[in-house]
Amino acid sequence: MPASPVQGHGGPVIGPRHAILKEPDPDVELLARIGNNEPEAVKEMVSRKLPRLLALASRLLGDAEEARDVAQESFLRIWKNAGNWRSGQARFDTWLHRVTLNLCYDRLRSRKEQLSGDDRQQIESVDSSPSPEEQLQAQAHSDQMASALAALPDRQREAIVLQYYQELSNIEAAAVMEISVDALESLLSRARRNLRSYLAESDLAETDGKVEPGRGKR
Amino acid sequence: MTPERFVHLADAYGADLKHWPTAEREDARALIERGDIAAINALQQAAWLDQKLDSHRAATPDPVLIRNVVASAFDAERTSFWSRYADWLSRIGFIGAGIAGIAAGMLVVSLSLPLANAPDLLPSVFDQGDAELILSVDAEESDQ
Repeated sequence: MPASPVQGHGGPVIGPRHAILKEPDPDVELLARIGNNEPEAVKEMVSRKLPRLLALASRLLGDAEEARDVAQESFLRIWKNAGNWRSGQARFDTWLHRVTLNLCYDRLRSRKEQLSGDDRQQIESVDSSPSPEEQLQAQAHSDQMASALAALPDRQREAIVLQYYQELSNIEAAAVMEISVDALESLLSRARRNLRSYLAESDLAETDGKVEPGRGKR
Repeated sequence: MTPERFVHLADAYGADLKHWPTAEREDARALIERGDIAAINALQQAAWLDQKLDSHRAATPDPVLIRNVVASAFDAERTSFWSRYADWLSRIGFIGAGIAGIAAGMLVVSLSLPLANAPDLLPSVFDQGDAELILSVDAEESDQ
């Protein structure tokens, strides 16, 4: 049973140095109810976690369909482990982020095996469906940001997604990534620097009528 | 907090102090209120990127996905039940196979043991007297 210490999908154990439980884990009671086969608890868990997991996966993968698959796989892990979950050193949400992150790793790895070096294609935008006229501008900005995120090195993208979008604390994000807080801050600084550079170049290219800016530096 | 520390944190965590480490927020607010130029510049630069980051729209769950995920909980429960049932059955099968093995072993052992008191237990077509009679008849035929 995964409970504590946290063990992700195929990943190493998150040890005591990442112990972050100062407050009661808000998910533990819900997990116990799921373990007791309460349908309402299942729905509440889906409502509580699905949007976050889907957002996490879509930002890491840049592909809405793959993100859906990852979200569903993550929930299978939840259902499998809910009944046996017990409070420990790591929060359930941290474990869940770790599971989802590892599922994304698997897909990124298999994607890299298919793509190599300069042959890598621009990863498609999360939502490529046609937008209403009034949303075109917002869609363009979203697409630009998606491209900037996709251009980041994987670890920098993970850091910014966990810390900024998922709103994990620095300690939680570091625990999920299995690095120190200092290392996390270094990744975040580099990620933000690369994003600024990419976006500025993208804006400039748009102004000059060019098509695509350069990719982020490592 | 020094302005350098502030710039470092803004560079990592962005312009919104809610993303900053809890222990650093109060000192950061104090520095902003003092109007430190380096801190203000760092905030402006971080805010520009935050705005760009906020423009990104992640995938959101649609009703089909929600339905599938909820259903998967009950599928998992059924699978779990049948896997437990299968485990139970396999244990029963194992025990059954064990019992059959023991029975077979006992049969083999019983057949291979010497039957020390067999004459007492098993009826014989010939008793001792019959044997002597047959032997004497054979001897007479030989003499002739």
